[in-house]
Amino acid sequence: MNSIEEYLRRDAELYPDKVAIICNDEQVTYRALWQRVERRATELAGRYRPGQVVVMRAAQSIDFLVSYFALHLIHAVALPLEQDIPQSAMDQVVERYSRFTAPDEVADILFTTGTTGRSKGVMVSHRTIVADGDNLVNALGVTRDLLFVICGPINHIGSLSKVYPVIMMGATLHILEGLKDLGAFFEALSNPHFARVATFLVPASIRILLQLASKQLAAMAPRMDFIETGAAPMPHSDMEALCRLLPSTRLYNTYASTETGIIATHDYSQPGDGYCREGCLGTAMCHSRFFITDEGHVACQGDTLMSGYADDEELTATVMRDDTVFTADNGRIDDKGRLWLMGRDDDVINVGGYKVAPTEVEDAALAFHGVEDCICICDPSPLLGNRLKLLVVKRPDVDFTTRELARHIATRLESYKVPQLYELVDTIRRTFNGKLDRKSYRK
Amino acid sequence: MKEKIKQLLEDVLPLVDLDSDFLFAELDSLGVTTIMMVLSNEFGIELEAVDATPRNLKNLDSIVAMVEAKLKQK
Repeated sequence: MNSIEEYLRRDAELYPDKVAIICNDEQVTYRALWQRVERRATELAGRYRPGQVVVMRAAQSIDFLVSYFALHLIHAVALPLEQDIPQSAMDQVVERYSRFTAPDEVADILFTTGTTGRSKGVMVSHRTIVADGDNLVNALGVTRDLLFVICGPINHIGSLSKVYPVIMMGATLHILEGLKDLGAFFEALSNPHFARVATFLVPASIRILLQLASKQLAAMAPRMDFIETGAAPMPHSDMEALCRLLPSTRLYNTYASTETGIIATHDYSQPGDGYCREGCLGTAMCHSRFFITDEGHVACQGDTLMSGYADDEELTATVMRDDTVFTADNGRIDDKGRLWLMGRDDDVINVGGYKVAPTEVEDAALAFHGVEDCICICDPSPLLGNRLKLLVVKRPDVDFTTRELARHIATRLESYKVPQLYELVDTIRRTFNGKLDRKSYRK
Repeated sequence: MKEKIKQLLEDVLPLVDLDSDFLFAELDSLGVTTIMMVLSNEFGIELEAVDATPRNLKNLDSIVAMVEAKLKQK
């Protein structure tokens, strides 16, 4: 089958009464879901042409996924953005792709902060979606009787990619709006209609659960089939704590990015030399390959790679050549073929699985009338994980509060890009050639 | 107590309107964790997931009430 929608149609025929998706108080069977997708596709066919980019806010809802599948059915391209993106930023994206027609194979354009530090539109093909889904089905052992709970933003590859194995296996997806209501999270996992549940959590979310809800998590042990993590490094102590609380649960650390797709995973709960080892991302999945370049960077190949950056061949050529995506991740491969990661070479800051380019934050802050100079740095907190901190040189004649500055930044950027911490300083350190001396601020 | 908690939370949650009556709706998961962690550390109380309910985090008054109840249990 060549698209996720073909699997969905098959599911509607084979398991029409099986619950496909649960969200809030709503749930849909595969039959009902397919009917809604077909109806929506008929409505949208009159509005959008094949290859047209349709920008939408990614709500954590069944209705969002109905539109997402329907756009694919009419060969339009879904471009889901952060639910809370400021309207002005959304308008810029709409304008940017208003005259762009995507190549035939493209299903989605996903926005990401990549190695150069600017938000970029990554083109993802139908073939890539199916390869990502098949990789996850095989590597994680996704089965039809499974309930997969996702709570991350659904426009991000981390959570969006979990929709694929669920549909391909005819399993059930439960979508939650974040993890802030921990009661709702545990209620979803306790669903009495399912004996086996799984979830995807970024390391920051695992930290939240370990700190605030270890008892409830331990109570899930008998039914928790696996937990997948990814998008950021996970501390050794958190891995060990999770293994202790969930002794019979498979615990995966996955290597993936929007540009490369889902590449490799490692079950760090298994006894042996990979038990709770930080940085181990395991062996390549069935549709993927990786190698290390002469510069020590991870390079990836296979069906899960992006088709390129939308409407930007020049930028594409900087990271993608000869059917290979070259990442900025430093890595090595051991004698068992397992990938190990050892940090990145660029300035991108990882906040709870989100990658943030400090320059983007600084540009937004510099547009505020009271800011003379600034630098956005990472403030690693043992309790709360990485947070963004803005060091600010104030204009002498202007008074403002940090809340006013934060709110100004929030009018231009998604909320995860708004620094939580602010400090007034006299100067910002620069290198001899006048560039921000970012290295001197790293802890 | 209320002013002290407001000041503490304003420092770590610059985007959140702490005078809102719909505080929980404004928070994300990191915001909820931040509140629980900051208050636990400051007042030496044990706050867990069962405490992080929409009711307890409805507004600043309900947060103050939660902290006062925990302090009484100490």
